[in-house]
Amino acid sequence: MSSAADAHRRRRRGESPAEQTFADLMNGFSLDSGRKRTRSESPVPAREATPVAEQQETPVFETPVPELSDASIVRAYAWTGGRTRSNINLEIETLVSANDQSRQSAGILQAEHQHVVELCRSPRSVAEVAALMRLPLGVVKVLLGDMAERGLVDVHQTASAGGVTPDLGLMERVLSGLRRL
Amino acid sequence: MDYVGSRFPDFGPPGPPGRELTSAKIVVAGGFGVGKSTFIRSIVENDLLTMTALPPERAGLVTELVRIQFGRVWLDPGLALHLFVAPQWQDPRAGWNDVVRGAVGAVVLFDVMRPADSVDAMRYFEDHKIPYVLALNNVHASVRSDVKAIIRGMGIAPEVPVVNCDPRVRLSVRETLITLTEHAKLDRWRRRPGPDETTPLAPVC
Repeated sequence: MSSAADAHRRRRRGESPAEQTFADLMNGFSLDSGRKRTRSESPVPAREATPVAEQQETPVFETPVPELSDASIVRAYAWTGGRTRSNINLEIETLVSANDQSRQSAGILQAEHQHVVELCRSPRSVAEVAALMRLPLGVVKVLLGDMAERGLVDVHQTASAGGVTPDLGLMERVLSGLRRL
Repeated sequence: MDYVGSRFPDFGPPGPPGRELTSAKIVVAGGFGVGKSTFIRSIVENDLLTMTALPPERAGLVTELVRIQFGRVWLDPGLALHLFVAPQWQDPRAGWNDVVRGAVGAVVLFDVMRPADSVDAMRYFEDHKIPYVLALNNVHASVRSDVKAIIRGMGIAPEVPVVNCDPRVRLSVRETLITLTEHAKLDRWRRRPGPDETTPLAPVC
């Protein structure tokens, strides 16, 4: 199968793999030319087969607080190894919080993980982390997914995880909460 | 006056570690300038945050980020309610699905001077069976009943609540959210799987 045909089919389905195309594009021309050359030599179908497989050590960059610029988006995708999907189900309202392990690891974490840990000392939603770190949502989902897999943050599942509507119990809780406001 | 006695009983980022935490979200949709951000600002504690999403495949235009505003309020020590401004385009790539999926329901703000602006959002929620309320902004009391009759005439489902809402007034926003959640609860109850659906005739082995 040609990858062009695959890409076309995916686009027809209207799913987010379109993001991968973008990320790959960005990673392709973003960094120093040496890196670019080594990447382009690696066989292309690798990303098709295992898009979320562990890749080589995620590169660490000097700037801990990125600004919302083209360059920072490129850098952000480099953090995620070009991946735009996470293994962990994270909705935008899902709460994450730092745990004991991340507190103990303070100082030895890579910069962006350190930043997340500091933000999440009190529970934050995925959307809040994205907004406060000024990173695109897709990048933050991958970042948080990685950290959750390594046990650096706790993920507090939403009642609607998986796309189903919230259950009646949660709605009742929302209702009584609103009435108290 | 609206704030007397009840200003922001926000429970704050709470909790001893290990506490059970969860979250819910409500979507606020409607035409441009109808008061979506104002609506959210009236009920949440802090100023709104802005999250960005990348619309991919836009001819390589990296800088065209979709911005999605939202606010958060703790409803009890373990429950964070998020209110998201729905992106203007109902495009999954513009973050729309992320915002809508799993929401308690939606508030469609409706400016009676510019009704057409909110129709797309209404249609979307109707089509996808997402419970919503129509919140009429900019309604003069004397024309209220006429307006409601006209809106009913537009063919929205009869059970959809139509309320008046001033997005600047906290109590009004709160009432709208309560109406929505009650409606969503009822909607959920109606849609619960019936006995036919819960007892499939599949073989045991």
